[in-house]
Amino acid sequence: MAFDAHGDVSDEALMVLYANGDRHAALALTRRVTPRVLSYAARLLGGDRAEAEDVAQETMLRLWKIAPDWRQGETKVTTWAYRVATNLCIDRQRARGRRRQMALDDAPEVADAAPGAEGRLQDAGRMAALEAALRELPDRQRQAVVLRHLEGMTNPEIAAIMEIGVEAVESLTARGKRSLSAILSGRKADLGYEDDGDAG
Amino acid sequence: MQDDDLDRLLAAAAQRPIVPSEALMERVLEDALRLQPVTPRPSVRPRPGLIARLAGLLGGAPALAGLGTAAVFGLVLGYYSPTTLDYLTGTTTDTAEFFPEADFLTTEG
Repeated sequence: MAFDAHGDVSDEALMVLYANGDRHAALALTRRVTPRVLSYAARLLGGDRAEAEDVAQETMLRLWKIAPDWRQGETKVTTWAYRVATNLCIDRQRARGRRRQMALDDAPEVADAAPGAEGRLQDAGRMAALEAALRELPDRQRQAVVLRHLEGMTNPEIAAIMEIGVEAVESLTARGKRSLSAILSGRKADLGYEDDGDAG
Repeated sequence: MQDDDLDRLLAAAAQRPIVPSEALMERVLEDALRLQPVTPRPSVRPRPGLIARLAGLLGGAPALAGLGTAAVFGLVLGYYSPTTLDYLTGTTTDTAEFFPEADFLTTEG
């Protein structure tokens, strides 16, 4: 990929440049927005990489189409993209029905691993367990938890994406975390947290 | 599970990058360039020539035609003798004396 010639230009200004035929703006937006949308979609879809890539491409496709009508100052590009990606993920999940839930027992065993590899396996097991637990959350709680704790967004930003109030975001996030704790509590020993606690 | 454990797990998950493949980035960029609006270039009108610009200064083609007609008519009037002009206009030339008593001024002696 070529050098991003618009390093200091805002996403919103890039949209205008793109609509005016600036090819560098197309490249800059691709490099800025696509990874974030992919990451978010992958986490909402429980780690399904292929599905997440489809969502990311479709989201960006809609972004290109709306560019000529983009109004600066109304919505941030990332907010718009997260919102579209959210809807696409929900549509896909509903269309396919509830995804086959990965049983926590499918997570890689951390025991009987070679020294050195044990840590990586344990990490992989924890991530798989977290993804499985996230999939069990109601859609809105999962979105709020992913945006807040995995994408690192602020509550006002999440409120804009989910089109709800900040207090509702806080409530969804808190309930989501409580649900995650409950789901994962039975796996604490398998996930190695007792060992971590003893060590720390 | 304790809140601290969950927070650590979420923090660890947030640190795991999900890097888009090169193929995805190329597909997205391909879409972007395919759908990018083409800004119409302003049409370049040829610059008018010297005669056209002069005609414009004088008021355009109609004014130029009127001016030309007047000029030709002026030449005709100047070329032909007064007799012809009388013939053309159907009039005769009269001589008027404004100071009949002043003839002595032009006679010698």
